[in-house]
Amino acid sequence: MASHRGLYPGYDVLAHKHEWDANTRQIVEKRLGPFSYKLLSSWEQSMLKAVAGHLTYEDRPEVLAWVAAHFDQELGKAIGESQRQPEVPPQKELVVAGLKALEEWAKLQYQKGFLKLGVQDQFQILRDLQLGQLPMVGKWNETLQRALFKKLVSLAVEAYYSHPWVWSEIGYGGPAYPRGYVRIELGLADPWEAQRGGSSIDAEL
Amino acid sequence: MTRSCDHYGNQRFTHLRQRKYAGQEVDAVVVGLGAAGGLILRDLAKAGLDVVGIEAGPFWDPASDFASDELHARTLNWQDTRLSTGQNPLRFGHNNSGRGVGGGTVHFTGVFYRFHASDFRTRTLDGVGEDWPITYADLEPYYAKLEEEIKVSGPREFPWGEFNGPYPYPVREPISGNAQVFRRGCEALGIRSAVAPLAILSAPYDGRPPCINRGFCNQGCLPNAKFSTLIQHIPQALADGAEVPSDCMVTRILVGKDGRVSGVEFVHDGRTYKQEAKLVVVSAFVVETPRLLLNSACKQFPDGLANSSGLVGKYIMPHSGHDVFAKFDEEIRLYKGTPVMAVSQDFYETDPSRGFARGYTLNAHGSRPVELAGSLAVNAGMWGKELNDTMREWNYYARITMVGEVLPSLSNYVTLSDEKDEYGMPRALVHFSYGDNDNRLIAHGVETCYQILEAAGGKRAFVIPDTAHLHGGCRMGTDPRRSVVNQYCQSHDIPNLFVCDASVFVTSGGCNPTETVMAIAARTADYITSQKYKGKLQPAALTV
Repeated sequence: MASHRGLYPGYDVLAHKHEWDANTRQIVEKRLGPFSYKLLSSWEQSMLKAVAGHLTYEDRPEVLAWVAAHFDQELGKAIGESQRQPEVPPQKELVVAGLKALEEWAKLQYQKGFLKLGVQDQFQILRDLQLGQLPMVGKWNETLQRALFKKLVSLAVEAYYSHPWVWSEIGYGGPAYPRGYVRIELGLADPWEAQRGGSSIDAEL
Repeated sequence: MTRSCDHYGNQRFTHLRQRKYAGQEVDAVVVGLGAAGGLILRDLAKAGLDVVGIEAGPFWDPASDFASDELHARTLNWQDTRLSTGQNPLRFGHNNSGRGVGGGTVHFTGVFYRFHASDFRTRTLDGVGEDWPITYADLEPYYAKLEEEIKVSGPREFPWGEFNGPYPYPVREPISGNAQVFRRGCEALGIRSAVAPLAILSAPYDGRPPCINRGFCNQGCLPNAKFSTLIQHIPQALADGAEVPSDCMVTRILVGKDGRVSGVEFVHDGRTYKQEAKLVVVSAFVVETPRLLLNSACKQFPDGLANSSGLVGKYIMPHSGHDVFAKFDEEIRLYKGTPVMAVSQDFYETDPSRGFARGYTLNAHGSRPVELAGSLAVNAGMWGKELNDTMREWNYYARITMVGEVLPSLSNYVTLSDEKDEYGMPRALVHFSYGDNDNRLIAHGVETCYQILEAAGGKRAFVIPDTAHLHGGCRMGTDPRRSVVNQYCQSHDIPNLFVCDASVFVTSGGCNPTETVMAIAARTADYITSQKYKGKLQPAALTV
């Protein structure tokens, strides 16, 4: 695993993957790559990685590649998006058109493409988007701007907190079947769980 | 010995070539196999009726279809897009109905409460909502029977409502850190708390093991310790001869020349099939049930079936489900153990001094990273460094979730939109806004949660606005002009059409609804199999 950024240095959820059921193991390992994209162009992938980097406060390319791959998978699904405001287009259309709109906003305000902007300017555009305060270009009124931000942050954050490196950093025990948790009360942890400031018992022991 | 949960290998099929009742008229068809439909199917099959239960989603096998993963578990939710609007647009997916055999019971927390007697009499007692056509006493025998057959685990003494324990199976022990903190705070303030009554085993039953505290109740129980109709009622129904076509979306209820329903049409893999039946039970949840009734409009019933009152889809109510968090100096670790293990209903009944009618339940509620970070981002607007910093220390947060009663209002409804789905059916349009009483109740509930967490040693952190569950849309009543079904969930308009799920709720109550949904379903099944109903089936009592 790459650099560890949390309260639980040395804790690696993946060191315990042989304890997980095979189905779960396969699902989680796919998040480590390699990824193939069915829907998104390479520019759209780069845009999503940049946007997701701000939304999740993350810069490791491996993690952001998974986040972009998650967008690609979700936007390509026919099953539906649970709910949508009547005036907002379906998520695939919203995100694909939304990335183009972000590019237009960047050019309008800074005379440069979004990816060429500095971190502060990119951040400011996203901050304004969240509040629906970017100038209206095309159909992008306040409702659509807010809807775009919510869709981007929702897909980015759910992917980010499904990455096993992130689980390790936040001290999340992760999948626990078939063994379950035995010590669930205050102040107790199973020997294989993350321990504050130190490593858990190594899975190989 | 055959155990209910062992049926998957030979009784599950994925195509329609092996159909048992193709081309035949059966006694009953049940649309939707969740909490209500699964139970009704079992009871009708047990009574010797020829029954078909049609489910829109897959027939799950927990061992191969479930995983310990939040993203993967999305497949258990009803993800089809609903158009959601109003001042407080509802979020669907994990928040309420399931898709697949077992429905919402596959991903519910397993919290198993009875309603209180006052829930059925809010108009008389508090001047709000509407009285139900049934009372607590009508459901009491069904509550007791359900708890016994499911082996609900719970405390010896439960201090609220009409049933005060003991529960059939031992109370869950130990409880999680989050539940301990909750009880500590309650005790300091003189608020009564209890370990939750749960449809989760505390000891073996029917070949199923007790809970291993894996904590993924909302993602589908892998060890089968948590009850669902998927692993209990459906296998029993199959053993009694019921047929369960899955991945079959019912798109229309058929009406005969005599004005009665004659069966349903459903779509499987792009092809449309018909199932004829002497009676139809719709148990498709608060959104899909009205949608199906409205989409089944025909010459005799141009405004949709069972809709002479115009109230199909009206008076829908979620629960206010705000999540309140406090930060502690000690690790809580929200991800460990059954999510809800400690509760209080000290604020359930109306207290005029609080300035609002009705009340709420408090559940100490665990969480997992995708759920917590996702709701912080989407519902509370937190992202970037602030979200990352919060999540890095998420093990230090405790959480209480309120389950607040929401009063019925005619302006909250489900209807058909102009947009079509993959089956050519109009998508549901759902409109919801809180009322004043709801907002005052929420404010009180949030403040109570904070006080409990502070008394336990925590510091106020944040509130995530949310809702849970959904009720109403086909409410029961005695007056056909003011309700959709009678006290037995039978349409006032069409005597061989039943609607039985949370949509028949008249008020929402202030606690998790699954046990009440199932008790009503058991009572309906009793009625259908009784002589009382068989007699009534004879005359074509058309009201149009």
